Amino acid sequence: MERCLTDLEERPADAELIADIFRSVHTIKGTTGFLGFKRLEKLAHSGENLLGLLRDGKLAAHAPLITGLLQLLDSLRSILKVIEAEGHEGDGSDAEMIAKLEQLQLPALEGASKPIARAHAAKSKTVAAQKGDATGDPPVLLEAPPSAPPVSSIAPPPPPPTVPGTDAQGGHIRTGLSTSTAESTLRVDVSLLNQMMNLVGELVLTRNQVLQATSSDPKMTLLSRRLDMVTADLRESVMKARMQPVSNVFSKMPRMVRDLAQALDRRVRLQMEGQETELDKSLLEAIKDPLTHAVRNSLDHGIEPPHVREEAGKDPEGTLRLRAMQEGSHVILEVADDGAGIAVEKVRNKAIERGLISAQRAAVLSERELLQLIFLPGFSTAAQVTNVSGRGVGMDVVRTNVEKIGGKVEIDSRAGKGTTLRLRIPLTLAIIPALIVRNGHQSFALPQGALSELVHVPADQAGGTIEWIEDAPLYRLRGKLLPLVFLDRLLTPSSGRMGLQEQDHFIAILDADGRRFGLVVDGLADPEEIVVKPLSSALKGIGLYSGATVLGNGDLALILDPGSIAMKAGVTMSSDEEAAQTAGSAAEEVTRGAEFLFVEMGGRKAAVALGDVLRIEQIPHRRIEYVGMRPVINFDGQLLPIDDACGVLAGVQDGPDTPVVVVVCRDGTRHVGIVVSHVLDVATGSDLVEAGTQLSTQGVTLLKDCVTDIVNLGGIADLAAVEETRDQLDPMVEAMR
Amino acid sequence: MSSFGSEKRGAQKTTVLQQICSVRLGQAIYGVPISHILEIVGQARPQPVPLAPEFVGGLVHYRGDVLTVVSLRQLFGLLPQDGRQDILVLESAGGCFGVLVDSVGEVLTASSADFETNPSTLGQARRDFIAGAYKLQNALMIMLDPERLDPVRLGAGEAA
Repeated sequence: MERCLTDLEERPADAELIADIFRSVHTIKGTTGFLGFKRLEKLAHSGENLLGLLRDGKLAAHAPLITGLLQLLDSLRSILKVIEAEGHEGDGSDAEMIAKLEQLQLPALEGASKPIARAHAAKSKTVAAQKGDATGDPPVLLEAPPSAPPVSSIAPPPPPPTVPGTDAQGGHIRTGLSTSTAESTLRVDVSLLNQMMNLVGELVLTRNQVLQATSSDPKMTLLSRRLDMVTADLRESVMKARMQPVSNVFSKMPRMVRDLAQALDRRVRLQMEGQETELDKSLLEAIKDPLTHAVRNSLDHGIEPPHVREEAGKDPEGTLRLRAMQEGSHVILEVADDGAGIAVEKVRNKAIERGLISAQRAAVLSERELLQLIFLPGFSTAAQVTNVSGRGVGMDVVRTNVEKIGGKVEIDSRAGKGTTLRLRIPLTLAIIPALIVRNGHQSFALPQGALSELVHVPADQAGGTIEWIEDAPLYRLRGKLLPLVFLDRLLTPSSGRMGLQEQDHFIAILDADGRRFGLVVDGLADPEEIVVKPLSSALKGIGLYSGATVLGNGDLALILDPGSIAMKAGVTMSSDEEAAQTAGSAAEEVTRGAEFLFVEMGGRKAAVALGDVLRIEQIPHRRIEYVGMRPVINFDGQLLPIDDACGVLAGVQDGPDTPVVVVVCRDGTRHVGIVVSHVLDVATGSDLVEAGTQLSTQGVTLLKDCVTDIVNLGGIADLAAVEETRDQLDPMVEAMR
Repeated sequence: MSSFGSEKRGAQKTTVLQQICSVRLGQAIYGVPISHILEIVGQARPQPVPLAPEFVGGLVHYRGDVLTVVSLRQLFGLLPQDGRQDILVLESAGGCFGVLVDSVGEVLTASSADFETNPSTLGQARRDFIAGAYKLQNALMIMLDPERLDPVRLGAGEAA
């Protein structure tokens, strides 16, 4: 009904719509009268009077009228809530509301509505009953069954065609009696669904064990295969049962946008797309708040008042677009407006003013980095605090809530053109990707979301790689010191300090709410999609674990909580550092294009743009073959031209099995390989400018304070020369296989 | 404790029979009313939880849930035993949990006539978990109070 009302505002003359709303209100009035809820009945009655006039064309739908109707809807709802909670309507007077509604009727009130209303009194049943057999024939619909007094008498003389297109509207208001919606659906307790999910998980594990146990018996194989298939299907169905369309959240938006637009004096057109996109129920609940915040923000900060828009040469009516779509295992929710966009300078000034970032730091940030600042707690660009926004909790809340459920927030804004906020939500909450790490004999799961990279410390370097300041272990990650936390020592504090054992170690670089640290573990196992199981409250006090999970091999593993580990180990960060960190990580993201793979080729250093590097291969020397004078590698029948400008290959003389390192790069659409002596590091290069002209130089960069050549991929001779010989080579390749 | 209290009163008038599962821990025999037992998981190896409170014997996977296991040995301050042990899955108000014991014995039917409440000399530490004892022919079966073994309750007690 809410949607109908907001729709009505757009199309005030839509008779069908009015009839729809009228029917809903009428149903409420009838059923409540029938159940003896006097207060509800009275309210619905006055609303109905108003709608009756509207339907008869005696009144035109205008904004105050619709506001009145929406308020009526709210009061109806609040009474329904009281009834739900306490079983009676509660006390309170609706006289004011009713008076207001009557006031709205005044212009057209000629006493005609009285009989209409009276005739309605006991007829709700008939209308409700007819919801099922919607037909295109208006007389049938409005005619009551013979047993009831004729409803048709109340039908306006020239009845607008009241074809009930979407009669389910009434069902949104839980009268408890509207059983008219299709009987093919069933209400199920969420806890039952959760239990089903658990049991299915259990079945999957049992299946795995059955599969293992019966793999040797050919007779059982067929049976267990079938078990396998059925289990997989069952699991999928149960997952599906928990899915709900995002329209459940979106449907609240038109009303909110309308109310806000009125309060803020904006004109907004709301477009919604992809409402049928489905999301796990618990996630849907979780995104409700962030989405509401985002929409509020768009209206308050984004879309300008009509006169400002007109001055800017835009349509005075702003557009707010809500879009949902599925992308792989994620659902993307987009809130886009065509408003003023975010004024980057304003963001910069505000951030400095609020002490979120230092002025020097702010001066060097790029536009995109500055945009990220709006996610910091305490940030707001609104000049004054209104009841809509400006308290500086908005975007911070959006990000925290979305990240809590494993999602991500991206923002994109162009001044004068608008802002797009993208929420990336995983499909289900219960299953998260995790890396299984080993500590001693025990496995632990580390959520992938917090993991930024992995470093391998070979046994022979274990002693030298980790440095200490007193008892604080540190690792030098690309020139910056990173605090380390040893998982074994964290879990068994009594074992005391000891040097690193002569064995392989792995450092998982974690980023937990801006606190970066390295977690040292004994070993890595496979990444796995794990089903999160809650822990007993007796174990929650430990704080290190966020749950437990059952691994594919049937073992249990505790899920580590990076945030708590950081806290426990004392990895903290003051807010200033945190801001710098947030900005820093954003900076890394932005300047990724300027990151280089630092290599050594035949005695001199060179750089390859990291974005171009596909992979680094170590292959035996003999795999390099020659087409004419041109070295090539044959990768499963695909030829990769090799550049050996520095003569590294010529220097290799130790035998056919000597490994050589080839950096495989992308150059436009083709792939090329570069032979290098060593790969040294990954580093960020800075641009150099030519003295005098101040033009930025091409082909060289400042890497680790050395002017370094960038390998010109385009300069590597085209394969065309090789291409010609390819026709002859192909059969050879075929023959070789 | 209340359920045992009523038996005590009953003992004066009529004898009530109760089915009790006997478990072994070291040299002693303990009993748990079978009405509280959901299942017995034999030969289990609970996954240890580093840094957990002393009484926690680990976690086990039970029907899609992860249960916290209370180690009776650790709760009573005995030395932990290596090798596989049996787990009783008990139901309590807060959910299910496991109790790790050396081994599970037979189910006995005991008469309330043989029941005696805790002696006054019993130490406070153990008194909390013990509800009394049944006199068997050649031994005592010490009754455990399942409600009190709930790890949530134990954890709350420890924190307090």
